[in-house]
Amino acid sequence: MRTKIFLVGASMLMFISSFVQAQTVKGIVSDENNLVLPGASVLADGGAKGVSTDMNGSYSLSLSAGEHTIEFSFIGYQKQSKKIVLTAGQTLELNISMQPDAVFIDDVVVVGYGVQRKKDVTGNIATVDAKKITALPTPSFEAALQGQAAGVQVTQGSGLAGSASTIRVRGTASVSAGGDPLYVVDGIPITQDYFIRGNGGAMNNNPLATLNPNDIESVEILKDASATAIYGSRGANGVILITTKRGAKKKGLSIDFTSRVGISTPASLPNMTNTEEYLQLRQEAWENDGGTGYVWLPNYTTADDDAETRALAFREAMGRDIDWVDRTIGTGVKQMYSVGLRKGGEKYALYAGLSYDDNESYLIGNGYERISGRINFDYTINKWLKAMVSSSLSRGTNSRIDAAWSGGLGDAMSNALPFYPVRYDETVLDEDGNVLHPEDEYFIWRDEFGGAKNPVGYRESFKSWKNIENRSVNNVRLLINPIKNLNIVASGGFDWMFLREEIDEAPIPTVRDFSQSFLNVNYILNWNYSLTANYDWDLLEDHKFGFLAGTEFQRSDSYGYSEEVTDEIPTPQRNGNPSQFSFLSYFGRANYTYKDRYLVQATARVDGSSRFGRNNRYGFFPSVSAGWIVSEEDFLKDSKTISFLKVKASYGLTGNANIPDYARFGTYSAADNGILYGNENILFPLQLANPNLQWETSRVVDASVEVGLWKDRVTFELGAYNKLSQDVLMNVNVSPSTGFTNYWDNVAEILNRGVEFSIKSRNLVGKFEWTTEFNVARNYNELVDIGNYTPDAVSGGTNDSRVIVGKPIGSFYLVEFSHVDQANGLPVYLDLNGNETYDYDNAIRKYVGDGLPDFIGGITNSFRYKNWDMQALAIFSVGAKIFDSSAKRQLGVVSSWNMRTDKFDRWRQPGDVAEFPILTLDETKYGLDEGFPWWNTSLFVYDASYFRLRNLAVGYTFQNLKVKNMTFNNLRLAVNVTNLFTLTNFPGLDPEVARDFENAQDRNLSPNVTYLTPPQERSYNFTLSFAF
Amino acid sequence: MKINYKYLLILACGLMTLSACDKLLEFEPGDVILAEDALKTPEDLQRLLNSNYDVLANLYDGRVQVLSELLTDNLSFPEDNNDYAAVYGRQTNFFTSTTNGVYSDFYRAIYRCNTVLESFDFINGLSESEQNRIEAEARFIRALCHWSLVKLYAQPYNNTPNNSHLGIVLRLEASQEPLSRNTVAEVYDSIIDDLLFAHSNLPIENGFYASRKSAAGYLAHVYFLMNELPNANFYASEVINSMEFTLDSDLDRYEQDNISSETVFGIVSFSNDFRNEGFSNNYRSDIGTPVLSMSESVFTTFSLNPSDLRNEWIENNNGTYYTTRFNGANYFNVPLVHLTGLHLLRAEALATEGIDLDVAIADVNAIRTRAFGEGINQLPSDASAEDIIEAAREEMFKETICEGVWIDYLKRRGTLGEDIIIRGAPYDCPGMALQFPNGETSVSGFQLNPEGGCN
Repeated sequence: MRTKIFLVGASMLMFISSFVQAQTVKGIVSDENNLVLPGASVLADGGAKGVSTDMNGSYSLSLSAGEHTIEFSFIGYQKQSKKIVLTAGQTLELNISMQPDAVFIDDVVVVGYGVQRKKDVTGNIATVDAKKITALPTPSFEAALQGQAAGVQVTQGSGLAGSASTIRVRGTASVSAGGDPLYVVDGIPITQDYFIRGNGGAMNNNPLATLNPNDIESVEILKDASATAIYGSRGANGVILITTKRGAKKKGLSIDFTSRVGISTPASLPNMTNTEEYLQLRQEAWENDGGTGYVWLPNYTTADDDAETRALAFREAMGRDIDWVDRTIGTGVKQMYSVGLRKGGEKYALYAGLSYDDNESYLIGNGYERISGRINFDYTINKWLKAMVSSSLSRGTNSRIDAAWSGGLGDAMSNALPFYPVRYDETVLDEDGNVLHPEDEYFIWRDEFGGAKNPVGYRESFKSWKNIENRSVNNVRLLINPIKNLNIVASGGFDWMFLREEIDEAPIPTVRDFSQSFLNVNYILNWNYSLTANYDWDLLEDHKFGFLAGTEFQRSDSYGYSEEVTDEIPTPQRNGNPSQFSFLSYFGRANYTYKDRYLVQATARVDGSSRFGRNNRYGFFPSVSAGWIVSEEDFLKDSKTISFLKVKASYGLTGNANIPDYARFGTYSAADNGILYGNENILFPLQLANPNLQWETSRVVDASVEVGLWKDRVTFELGAYNKLSQDVLMNVNVSPSTGFTNYWDNVAEILNRGVEFSIKSRNLVGKFEWTTEFNVARNYNELVDIGNYTPDAVSGGTNDSRVIVGKPIGSFYLVEFSHVDQANGLPVYLDLNGNETYDYDNAIRKYVGDGLPDFIGGITNSFRYKNWDMQALAIFSVGAKIFDSSAKRQLGVVSSWNMRTDKFDRWRQPGDVAEFPILTLDETKYGLDEGFPWWNTSLFVYDASYFRLRNLAVGYTFQNLKVKNMTFNNLRLAVNVTNLFTLTNFPGLDPEVARDFENAQDRNLSPNVTYLTPPQERSYNFTLSFAF
Repeated sequence: MKINYKYLLILACGLMTLSACDKLLEFEPGDVILAEDALKTPEDLQRLLNSNYDVLANLYDGRVQVLSELLTDNLSFPEDNNDYAAVYGRQTNFFTSTTNGVYSDFYRAIYRCNTVLESFDFINGLSESEQNRIEAEARFIRALCHWSLVKLYAQPYNNTPNNSHLGIVLRLEASQEPLSRNTVAEVYDSIIDDLLFAHSNLPIENGFYASRKSAAGYLAHVYFLMNELPNANFYASEVINSMEFTLDSDLDRYEQDNISSETVFGIVSFSNDFRNEGFSNNYRSDIGTPVLSMSESVFTTFSLNPSDLRNEWIENNNGTYYTTRFNGANYFNVPLVHLTGLHLLRAEALATEGIDLDVAIADVNAIRTRAFGEGINQLPSDASAEDIIEAAREEMFKETICEGVWIDYLKRRGTLGEDIIIRGAPYDCPGMALQFPNGETSVSGFQLNPEGGCN
């Protein structure tokens, strides 16, 4: 983003210079389209004198007579220098047209504990700038990383407001330990617990939702070991570095304002049957089963009722048709206002941001509101000491509704049958004439588990639910520069998270005649201290060294307690003891550059963690990498085609320690646990000890080549990696006959191997500008080993994903469906030997596909013509399968679930070729056990390849709009649509899905399993932004 | 001055690095005791032992008995509970959570018993007699758990000539090693071994915990199912003849605040600690519709003789039959081995052996006197062995309705060659042995039970 600056200093300089009657060089700096560039830097003689251009892009510089070199620079543009000769008293006019810089060769990128010139980086780091993060409204900032970096798979959660995305950098390398990358905000590894509130209401808490995207300057994704090994035991799944905006010294005051309003609608709708269709299918099933007369109806009649009773209920049902989907979804309204202020003085620089974001989803009653403020303040105390303070405070309020298996739209897609009324149409009396149900009372039905249901009743009356999360991330850094080239940074960070869940439940007719409230509070205190020293040593002209040494300590304390109030009687259940962990680390990095083209880097980190016992407390994570900038060599230096060529390779070890804090301890219940038998105290073992528990370790080899062609008009990068993760942590299901059911152990070995390619091409330059950015990645994932364990050693919770050696992590382990028998309409399965059978048996479960894609990628096309601009971001995923876990009920045995219209394609008579077997109410007909309609077959494993137009935006920018006395810089009006269309063969709701998960293991094992998960939203937005 | 300040700051930073040490990495969980600190004193050990009774109480509060009863034809189809339906339908699989939970709980107690048995060396101040008692109680509970498991999860004793068919995993050490299933012979050998040790070392008097007679009572039952009738008779007689227990004068053995005089071993409940919910939650018919109802054949059997006071145990609610045995009280004690059962067991054992028929007749008549009234429906003193066996079985069936015992008697008769068909399927069709939990298959090599085959 171009920063707009009024430069008071520049005019001051001009003012002073007028007294000296000096020589002047002046002019206008513009971009390649001849639009002025305010804030561009103009430096004379290597920085002896300098100004920035004003808001009209003009500059003026007074210089002594003689020869001077003037250098013009602006972020994102190629630096230009001009030699001039000024004679005494001369005023020289020098207008400059800047050319965009493709790879930002001289840009710096943020790396672990510092910055490096992009050119010198030997690791694999993807940078996503602020513009792309705020370009589209997302439930949470990390969703905007989707399609931006090769090998970074971002799967947006669902249509729920504030829902979390799952991010997998170069595949999944963990089983039971958390598989998400480490998030570091301004140097602080932040608290990122997705399971702080489990999966209540079919949603995981999203710890990143409170971060304000508008405060973010850039996001760096560290991918290979060379980049992540400096984060040691926490780097194995990649590291995401978030840098927030800061002010710049001597840059005066500038203010950015952005507002966005929009609406949210579902990207797709479920095709549930209406009353007539449902009853027709149900009746057919009944008759197929040998039933006579009308079929019995759930919540009205039973199979044992006589024909007349059943007929009566059937006829009544025919008279009603409720579209329950329509009763749970609507149009959400979104609004966002954000102000950012930057001010720079002689000694200080300030950024202050304030934003309000109200993000309603299309689910009625669901929205996420965030208010956030940030102050980043830098103060130069003296020549060798500078202080930097970063502080943010935000409050996210999630107005919750039940979803998926928990209610709401999930009910509408399952147990809400179209003939159930929302409310009683008329008063219902019992045999004695007493009022059973008054008119307008909500109709309550029971689902198959006995749960009382009615999504409208719950939303409007029975349940109100709010999750309020306060979050403050703070950091103070002291930068000490005692001698030349030595920089010491002492940093202290504090990350505070306070989550308060309030659930109020009103009486429900026929279920509960009292109200009750639940309060669940969790708070996490996270401290971080680090000290680093960095020394740059230029030995000779051709030999440059850089050294970094550092130490870091992090500690986190999590508290939680609950209170329940029923009928005004509070029963507080406070849990006083926190769950704690800490990391103590020492690390170092050495860089050597020879002739600015041969690059070598070595890093090492020693990490100690409280999560591991003394036997394996410390881990050592080294890495080495090398790069060669071939284009600096004489034989390429003058090439007209190849403007930049770099090859680089790295090898290193990284780890993962993201497991429960006390997994290593053997524990017993407390002596005063309150459990008695025979009124005597008891004492009992809780958990088995594993003193040898240790890190997962990934060995990563990475090689890539970066190329710039035709003055970097086309740049691309091609890379390959091999990542072997060993000692992978599994919370294995141990044989229950041991007296325990679970145990943490280092068991598995996982291979991720892949190639990544990204390209940026400025197809057209000049008046009409067209730029294409494209990235694609292929990852091969294989579970290499799990010792003596079987696929059932761990599972993806209620999902049927397992660990199968030789297959990817999270493979679907189901009974293989073959076809519908044309003769009798029965489902035919394949046993382990591939023989056909009618018997559905858990013993013949096998690998039937997995949720990991073969290819993922993104493509962004940007167009600019005069003041118009347009961007289209599309993402794609090829080769992953989806297990539509709820379809097994919607399209399986006819039950008290509503069906999807897909079900029409069913077998009806001998000779029929149909997708679905003969309709039945009797699960044993499909070979299932009585009472278990959970038809876990490969019939519901679908190809989930898709191409999705994630965002389409059109904007118009007024360069300098004057309204009365106000001048607005870069006032931009834009409209955008997200998820305008999706091309896919997946017959379900949304091919991109990350459902609610039970724990970190489920999150690793069950990508692409959907269970009544609300589809993503399609939003239409209008954005206004300007600066002054 | 300025330079001092600078170096002071750098020095402070340097100190920050040095101050870091291993202690910063020591966090222990709160609210719990670390395993190495948990067992130090005799009191700790006693509390650990007591936790085994706690597990037993959670299992035998009706939970286990319901599963056994579901395998008979005493109940009607449990429509509202999928897991019960699976047990009833003899098609449990390794996802059936109710049976998985029971399985895990039994082994939880076994692990704790083994931990008790392996802890004596670490406890200071434990007298030899105390050690003996604790050891005997732990082995008693271990035997109980193994026995319950082998009855539920394997085909019955004597179902193969040498009992070489697969039983369950025998756990005699607190180890984490995955083990495969032992044969039924091995399991029963171990159960007898544990119970004999318990019998020799348990105290005569031990409150509501296991006593010598508890072990004798169980030995009688175990030997009976093994068809070792002299032994069954011997241990049943030891309990009966000890005169420590008397038949309850009324029919209700599930008493509140009072342990029935005929309870040899059982589970206790208190007003602050209900250990009867497996019964109450499933059968209780005076506070709502119960989950489980009785079969019509049970109702018919109970209403055959109008003077049978036990008739009121089964009520007819418009063609649905409920038991009233567990009505009326929120909490009650649960007898597991009782004098009634031992009398009837002994009667059948003696009659089968063809000895002491007068004792056997007296055993049956004692129960009949209570059920019908003095002198009514008595076995004549010259009753044949066959008559005695039939009468003993009839009374056993009625007296233990819902107690989860009948299935063991049916299976035993099946192994003796009788053609026992339960709801259309033989007593030893595959599904009659519950399936093991999925967790057992998490390590390769464990042999699951064959499924289905009963319908």
